[in-house]
Formats: sequence, structure tokens, C-alpha cells
Amino acid sequence: MRARVLGYGKMVGVVGWACSACAAQAESAVAITRPGLVPEASLNPADTAWMLTATALVLLMTLPGLALFYAGMVRRKNVINTMASVLAVAALVSLLWLGLGYSLAFTPGTPWLGSLARAGFAGMDYVKDSAQVAVSHLAPHVPESVFAMFQLTFAVITPALIVGALVERMRFSALLWFAGLWSLLVYAPVAHWAWEPGGWMAQLGTLDFAGGTVVHINAGAAGLVCAYVLGPRQGYGREPFEPYSLALTMVGTGLLWVGWFGFNAGSALAADGRAGLAMLVTHLAACAGALAWMLGEWVRRRRPSLLGLCSGVVAGLVAITPASGYVTPASAVLIGAVAGLACYWGATGLKRLLRADDSLDVFGVHGIGGLVGCLMTGLLANPTVGGAKGQLVVQALGAVAVLGYSLVMTWVVLGLTRVLVGLRVDEASEQGGLDVAQHREHLGA
Amino acid sequence: MLASEKLAIAAHLHVLLRRKAGRVTDTEWMAVNADYAAEMVRVARSAAQEGAHADLAEWADKLEQAWNPRPAVAVSAREQLARVGLRAAAPASPASPADPEAPRYIGGLR
Repeated sequence: MRARVLGYGKMVGVVGWACSACAAQAESAVAITRPGLVPEASLNPADTAWMLTATALVLLMTLPGLALFYAGMVRRKNVINTMASVLAVAALVSLLWLGLGYSLAFTPGTPWLGSLARAGFAGMDYVKDSAQVAVSHLAPHVPESVFAMFQLTFAVITPALIVGALVERMRFSALLWFAGLWSLLVYAPVAHWAWEPGGWMAQLGTLDFAGGTVVHINAGAAGLVCAYVLGPRQGYGREPFEPYSLALTMVGTGLLWVGWFGFNAGSALAADGRAGLAMLVTHLAACAGALAWMLGEWVRRRRPSLLGLCSGVVAGLVAITPASGYVTPASAVLIGAVAGLACYWGATGLKRLLRADDSLDVFGVHGIGGLVGCLMTGLLANPTVGGAKGQLVVQALGAVAVLGYSLVMTWVVLGLTRVLVGLRVDEASEQGGLDVAQHREHLGA
Repeated sequence: MLASEKLAIAAHLHVLLRRKAGRVTDTEWMAVNADYAAEMVRVARSAAQEGAHADLAEWADKLEQAWNPRPAVAVSAREQLARVGLRAAAPASPASPADPEAPRYIGGLR
């Protein structure tokens, strides 16, 4: 059981907490195998405070981090649509997550899917009179409301990442249908596989500390399918699609970078040394990714670009995500550097090979970065850091399974969406821009 | 080309000409009168060559393309830009990104 638990990044955080907290609290925590009520006194205030903070940081990644990051890269006529897409996806998925997705992902059930025990906004109780509070069995030292909200921010950013692959030609209504269905049919099951202790990937020992597989490979694969199914934008490959403002993209990158400390260090589920190390390796990988991409671009094109630096930062952050609770600082630099170069290839050479108009390179950066991080976690996981030794074959199996499931199910969800509302805007709307066509708004002069 | 897009290009060129060449133009007339637009394109290109203003030449090309969307425009724009050693306009197909002088943002952002 311990080996199984240690194979699960977020549960390792629980074990780490149990070792450092008082014995009575630890006993209480270990006894819990499913969500339920516990005495409020058994909670750890420091961990709860950190998890509240980390949750806010991760939400900051999406709103406004990702919205700015993406909006800066699209053409001027599609900036508002891009920002609206990220915002609407965040709002919709938040409701769906607490209504159903959280229960499917984070309650015990089968190895493939959780139960409906927490569906319909159930649980999350706080009973003041009896001083009891609901907790998840995955984090029995913090309120379940905090744990569910922390996980909500992951559920929100994953479909929001896919927006980057389909911008500038997808109908807004189609995006909402797609994001809602995808969140429930793709994200929730994969999160259950990897992060609920009964999930088949967790049982197998796949290491995914903060979502390299669940978030990034998953979103990357979905983005690639979206790009193929939607088809290229008008003029793709013939006309320059000039980004509206790389300054916005830079601001978005900064917010993503800072928010990622909550993403990775928060996944320790405790305010402890492991969270501190996760934060450190996250920063190092981001820096290594930025410099590696910059060098690659400098050598190939003789000039380093701001967009390349921003992309390298994200590449490093993506790749360190699954490894952040398992590796040493030196390994983090290596992971970030490899990811910087690999994602540069993913967004350029591989992109040409794939012949898909993945508008903002979701697969090239998140898919490739996630794969690099997943596999390198198998090579570099240090048992003294996370208590788990990496297994390359197990990591590869998890990555391929999520990649395959996401590819197939995204195609199915897009098919459903096409039947419901259609996928693409008409040619005139695309030519004039989705800001006016879909929202009747446009940027000022 | 929508009228609003033509106006947006004209507005860009208006601002650039004022800032880089000290010339004040009529933005709205540039978007509705072909002769005036052609003359402003000529003025912008001349100023671009004199001052090596890449963006001025680029927006002059855009306005010309907006008024006369034909392939020959892209060719002449590349030649004209090459004379002042600036970035080339869009070719018909994506160039290899390994070429450091390849035009950007065609077939990919990065």
C-alpha cells in the first residue's frame, strides 16, 4: 500500500504531512479512505493557509495569465474572442467541476472512474455547532472545500489551454459545448486514473506530481485533434498572422510563471520542505527552458525572440510539472533545458511535419513538454526527494494511454459538438474577425 | 478586404508617416480614394528608403495590397524592401524557418 501511495504525487504530500504533524492528527488522517467529516481540530492550519494561497495562484494562471498569454499571440481582430473564451471556459468548467467532475475524479470508485458521492455540490460541509468539517481522503488535513477548489483550478486551466489550438475560427457556442463535455468525459476520468489512489495509473505507480500527464499531455493531444478537425485558418501558410501584442504575452508569461509555484508547490498539499523544493525546481526549470529555447533560436535564426523566451519559460514549467516533487535541482535544470529545445522543435519542425494549424502551438509546447517531463521523471526521480523511484516504462505507458484516450475522446466530443451547434464560424466572420462576429465588440484605437 | 480593415491599415500608416516622416495625412480619404492612397504609398516608401523605416515600408505594402490584392504586389514589395535591407513581405508559400531572413508568422508563430 505504501508503495502504491508513494506512486501518487499528491498522496505523497499527505504522507509527508502525516510524518511531520502531530501523531494524533496523523492517525486521524491515515484512517480516512473516502471523503467524510472529521473534527475541525484535526486540520493543519498552516497547510490550509498554504493551500488557500496556492489555489489563488493557480487560478491566477488562467485569469488573467493564460488569457493574456494567448490574447497577445492572436491577430488584433480576435483578441476579445480569445480572452472571452478563456474566461467563459473558466466559469463553465468551475460549475461543472463542483457539480459533477470533482466527484468523478476524486472519489473512490473503479480504476477508471470515481463515484457520484460528491456530485451535485454534495460534501464540502462545514458544521460549526459540532466543529466538524468535510475532508477528502487525499488531503485529510485541509478542508475538502479547499482541496476541491485547488483541484478545480487544474480542471479549469486544462480545457482553457486547448483554446490556444482552436482560436480564430471556432464558434463561441461550440467552444462552450466542447469545453463542458471535454471536462467531464476526458479530464475527470484521466484525473481519476492518475490522482485517485484507486485509479489504474496510480496503482501502477505512474508519477505525475502536479499534472504533466493529466493536464499537459491531455491538453496537448486535445489541441492537436482540434486543429485537425477544425482545419486551418483562412490564409494559413500564405499570409503572416501577426501577433497583436507580444507585450501582453510577456505579461501573461510572468503570471503563468508565478502562478506555477502554486500549481507545483501546492501539489505537495502541505506547507513543508517538499513544497519548498518543488517551488525551487519549478523556477530553475523555467529559467533553463527559457535559455535553451533562446539558444536554439539564436543558433537557428541568428536572433533570440521575446516570444521564444516566453515559450521556453512555459516549456520548462510544463516539463517540470510531473517531476516537481521527485527531482533534485540539478535534474530540474536538465529537464528544463531538454524541454526548451524539444518544445522549440515541437512548435517549428514537428509542426510542419504534422501539417496542423495548431494556432498557438498547444501540442508543440504542452504536448511535447508534457511528454518530456513525464519520461524524464521516470529517469530522474530521486527516492530521497519523493520516496519513489522512477520507472521509465511505467511513465511511458501512462503517457501513451492518456495521449491515446485524449486523441480519441476529443475527436468524439468534437463530433458531438459539430452535431449540436457546428464548429466553425463562416468565412466572412473569420475574415472580419471573431471579436465583432461573435461578440459585437472590438478593441479601441 | 473589408472597409474597416482598410481603414485600420490607413490609420496605421497615418500614424507612422506623422511620427517617422513628419507628414500629416487624411486617414479616412486614404481608405476611400484609390489615387490618394496610391500617392501615400509612394510617399511612405520614399520615406522608408530615406530613413530605413522597416515598419513604414511594411504598412505601405499593406495599404497597396488592400487596394490592389494581386500577387505581383508581394513580389514588388519584397524587392523594394530588399533594397533597403529590411524584412521581406509574405511569399506565396512558407519559407524554411532555418532561414534567418525568412518572413515571420507565416505557417507558425515561432
